[in-house]
Amino acid sequence: MSSIAINKKINDNRVSLLKVGKKARIVIYAFMAICSILVLLPLLWLIFTSLKTQAELTQNIWGLPKSPQLSNYALAWKKGRMGLYITNSLISTIVTIIITVITSTTISFILSRFTFKLNRTIYYLVVIGMMIPIHAAVIPLYIMALNLKLQNNLVALGFIYAAFRIPASVFFLESYMKSIPKELEESAIIDGCGIWKTFVNIILPLSKDGIITIVILAVLACWNELLVAMLMLNQPFIKTLPIGLMGFIGEYNSEYTQLCAGLVIACLPGLIFYALLKEKIVKGMTVGAIKG
Amino acid sequence: MDVIKNKRLAIIMFLIPGLLVYLLFVFYPILQGVILSTYRWKTVSVKVFTGFDNYIGVFQDNLFWKSMKNSFIFMLGTGLIQIPLGFILGYLLYLQLRGYRYFQTIFFIPPMLMTVAVGYIWGYIYSPAIGILKPLMQAVGLGKYYIPPLADSRTALFFMILAQAWNSTGIQMMLFNAGFMNMPEEVIEMSTIDGVYGWRKIFYIVIPLSWEVTKTVIILQLTGALRAFDLIFVMTGGGPNHATEVLPVYMFVQAFQNFNIGYGTVAAVVIFVLSMGLTMSLRKIMGQEII
Repeated sequence: MSSIAINKKINDNRVSLLKVGKKARIVIYAFMAICSILVLLPLLWLIFTSLKTQAELTQNIWGLPKSPQLSNYALAWKKGRMGLYITNSLISTIVTIIITVITSTTISFILSRFTFKLNRTIYYLVVIGMMIPIHAAVIPLYIMALNLKLQNNLVALGFIYAAFRIPASVFFLESYMKSIPKELEESAIIDGCGIWKTFVNIILPLSKDGIITIVILAVLACWNELLVAMLMLNQPFIKTLPIGLMGFIGEYNSEYTQLCAGLVIACLPGLIFYALLKEKIVKGMTVGAIKG
Repeated sequence: MDVIKNKRLAIIMFLIPGLLVYLLFVFYPILQGVILSTYRWKTVSVKVFTGFDNYIGVFQDNLFWKSMKNSFIFMLGTGLIQIPLGFILGYLLYLQLRGYRYFQTIFFIPPMLMTVAVGYIWGYIYSPAIGILKPLMQAVGLGKYYIPPLADSRTALFFMILAQAWNSTGIQMMLFNAGFMNMPEEVIEMSTIDGVYGWRKIFYIVIPLSWEVTKTVIILQLTGALRAFDLIFVMTGGGPNHATEVLPVYMFVQAFQNFNIGYGTVAAVVIFVLSMGLTMSLRKIMGQEII
């Protein structure tokens, strides 16, 4: 009886598993508290600043705003065209997701389930792309966009983002699909399912978690992207959020309180994404890096 | 026979869309970049073949070597801060003291913020007009040492590294933490019973057991630092006096501000070769599969 209780305690509580003394515990908490302050202080300051009047800011850089100026947010939203830019970013992100999923699942399906001569050649050709930084391709992409008139086209931007997600996504999904038992699809083929049906009805549903991971990684990569977007989009109404934000800050460069409100707004979608999907994001980023 | 034919057709049909997108937007531009780097550009549409002239020009350009040096310092600086700090935080969270989830949530906020916004936030923090760095230094009696960090070419790169570390240490923390959570619990437990804990536990048990993760983090961190662009572009644009101009910024400035597409593509080829070379040699040194 007592031994069961002790075992349970060890499993529930790592403190006993790893033996952390009282003194050590105080030091650990102090260190984590300092780090938390270092993380939160700039953000609190940003939020306080975004709620002040311009005059108040010059007198009082530190403190709480006297009366919160929510109008800063309304002005930043309007002047910074935040709604428009968030929509544009969403469009390119959705295109990225759709194209990444279609291309990566089909390639991974074939490479993981069929043996044919060029299988490994194609695999390495695709996966080697993980080592290619997007920077190395931007100048030719820019010239290509000029020639093919793909500039200011959010769908084209989504395609480019998706293309750069293919290597890592295939690398991850191919090994994920390999772990699905072969018997399942063999019985499906005996039942008269064609390759297409096997793919849609069996492999895709069983790869759901893997697909969620590659989607999360794709969203994180393209939502933040600056360099390609900056070169591909140059019209004020077709900007994504990062370059829209740069334009806003360049244009109103001394109205700090409104700019800070704009920065808070720009950070919100990411934070909402994090709040809704925390576990999945953390898991996706870790298994994506440390192939699990 | 019919079945095999169908299968081959199906394989091709499945592969074509994905490979087309990949070859068109990733592979072709890279090859194209190598070709373009041998041309001298008069305008965006008129170009003359010049062989290796651009390479000679770039390799004789002091600013190119400065950007190489800056990239290297940036890589080393962010690595030296982020890897140990990520390791420590990841380990402290792994201990799962009461309330650790709150800390975990907080530490992972910065990587979830938009990078461009983080650049401006830190630009403002350092700014002499509205930033909190100056009053902070005054509060602890160091006010007279304050100089606007990003305006001084001696300090700019260092403060850039701090901003980058603030932005992304949470990622290393998460990766280390995941690695520690995968360590076999029995070994940890046995070593505790044997009286191994504290620092000795970290050095003799934790580091060897999580070595795979450490390798991955080092490779990701070093190769990632070579690609750093967003934060630097937003905060200083490479200045003052090229003090923060890392390779990707040099490339951007050459191609799109000086309109010297030849030099820009040479820089792009250098970034490509360095990225590949660094990844492969790090993997080789650390005994991982090269691809």
